[in-house]
Amino acid sequence: MAHPLIEFRHIKKAYGDNVVLKDINFQLESGKFYTLLGPSGSGKTTILRIIAGFNEATSGDVIFDGQRINDVPANRRQVNTVFQDYALFPHLNVFENVAFGLRLKKVGTQEINERVERALRLVHLQGYQEREITEMSGGQQQRVAIARAIVNRPKVLMLDEALSALDYKLRKEMQTELRALQRRLGITFIFVTHDQSEALAMSDQIFVINDGLIQQSGSPVDIYDEPLNHFVADFIGESNIVPAIMKRDYLVNIGGLDFECVDAGMRPNEKVEVVLRPEDLDITSPEKGKLLVTVDTQLFRGVDYQITAHDADRHEWKINSIHKTTVGSQVGLSFDPEDIHVMRLHESEQDFDNRLESYEDEK
Amino acid sequence: MKKQHTGWLGKVYLALVLVILYLPIFYLVYYSFSSGKTMEKFGHFSLVHYRVLATDTRMIQIVINTAIIALLSSLIATVIGTLGALVIKRVRFRQQRQVLLSLNNVLMVSPDVLIGASFLIFFTVIGLRLGFVSVLLSHIAFSIPIVVLMVLPKLNEMSPTLADAAADLGATPWQSLSRVTLPAMTPGILVGYFMAFTYSLDDFAVTFFVTGNGFTTLSVEIYSRARQGINLEINALSTVVFLLSLALVAGYYFLSSRAGRRNRVMTVKEGDVQ
Repeated sequence: MAHPLIEFRHIKKAYGDNVVLKDINFQLESGKFYTLLGPSGSGKTTILRIIAGFNEATSGDVIFDGQRINDVPANRRQVNTVFQDYALFPHLNVFENVAFGLRLKKVGTQEINERVERALRLVHLQGYQEREITEMSGGQQQRVAIARAIVNRPKVLMLDEALSALDYKLRKEMQTELRALQRRLGITFIFVTHDQSEALAMSDQIFVINDGLIQQSGSPVDIYDEPLNHFVADFIGESNIVPAIMKRDYLVNIGGLDFECVDAGMRPNEKVEVVLRPEDLDITSPEKGKLLVTVDTQLFRGVDYQITAHDADRHEWKINSIHKTTVGSQVGLSFDPEDIHVMRLHESEQDFDNRLESYEDEK
Repeated sequence: MKKQHTGWLGKVYLALVLVILYLPIFYLVYYSFSSGKTMEKFGHFSLVHYRVLATDTRMIQIVINTAIIALLSSLIATVIGTLGALVIKRVRFRQQRQVLLSLNNVLMVSPDVLIGASFLIFFTVIGLRLGFVSVLLSHIAFSIPIVVLMVLPKLNEMSPTLADAAADLGATPWQSLSRVTLPAMTPGILVGYFMAFTYSLDDFAVTFFVTGNGFTTLSVEIYSRARQGINLEINALSTVVFLLSLALVAGYYFLSSRAGRRNRVMTVKEGDVQ
């Protein structure tokens, strides 16, 4: 990329002995939708707060638009944040909340009126100017918070768990709207969430964060289909993760049975882990199946049935199937070679990419 | 709705408590309209004691003094106490914060007589002449902990991200304080001010020690007059003060219910308004 908008170089953050961020490096381009995804306590909010300037990095450089901004205070950075609790000012009405940033910049009254109205229209709150914050519902407050941020025309809009306080239906609606808003404004969004489905649905690029490190970054499809390690595979979507042995290129041994797969570039007989997504597993008759399992439980979820089963080694399998089966019966599981995703233990993101390239060129 | 109706026993109990609380005051008020000189027998309805009160320039001067002391001391205490609460809130370490808060609370619970006596000794040692200034200073001093206690909860319930949000939108630390933090905690500050005001108005013990010869406040004056014997002028004065207090409480609730449209309705923790 020609000119990254935000860059982290070896960012570390520690509170006393408590290391929150170990070594964070990334580059963010202008105009894209990024998601920092991780469980609570993973450090994702700290990254956001360092970008915003609320927290200082213990070491490393924060580069914004080519300038090192470690020492620039929060009030002089060209980023705006939508907070998890919205942090709307209770003593001001909707108009004054949204106008807050503009008033500080001494923008003219006429322009303030126009810009506030336009921002409110963007979040579908036209006509709500005179309302008090306490008179607004949670979803509306969320929109006010977004309007208050985008009215300042920041280069980057950051959203800290911005949707987690909303109910399911509203959250789904806001996901679509946020994505549309980002396209319309053309600015960079950095979205922090612990909700993997939210991240998959909205992002151009996801950074999976755990334990103060970026575990994997990539497009939603990359991360879902090719998780780098156990954590990512487990955290993103549902998955069956089983130990296996990579016999040779394109042949993996799971529980004593050999399966054809599409991964390569590892040492012969290397110990690996294999990911099989529940939706990739099909239930067939025991004769046709590649694996034999006994069904333990079955839950109807509307779209499909969530089935758990165990194999001869007492290993548990999760299966999502649109067809009903019988608890207690023995069934076969079938899957295609492409459905098997092999993960090496302790492989770095760089090595993973290199390995992928090496054998994909061969083909 | 948890309870649609309280039992009759509860109602009787409540009525009894209210009667016992208000009876002495109404007794006082009742005799303030008597033509007699004592409270033994009600003469006929008359405003003679109010007329005496209106011409008693010494008493009027004392009422004005008391009001000035109350207004001024609670105002200054509110400023200092609010700043104090902001500082206590900022203290990073839990233990330090606890120590500061405990030091604050000790002043709340220690007997007024003790505080008054120590002020007397203190003022004498530094050579301050007892009078308006000494009373004002001591009232400010005992009001500060009250303000801190009233403001701190409001500050604690404020989201810490409010200040972040202000900075995020371009506010300097000073703008953040003046445009967000202080306005958002105004209800708490107002409660603190009212409490300090009433504490100052009705304080006797501390004031008793630090009033000099020339200066006195209402409570001290009423005390010394009551010692000399019954005087129905005091009744008249008490009635006026009682009505003023009622008006104050009503005004306060009017204000807070209007503010309640913005912020959640807050209630006075103690109905200490005398």
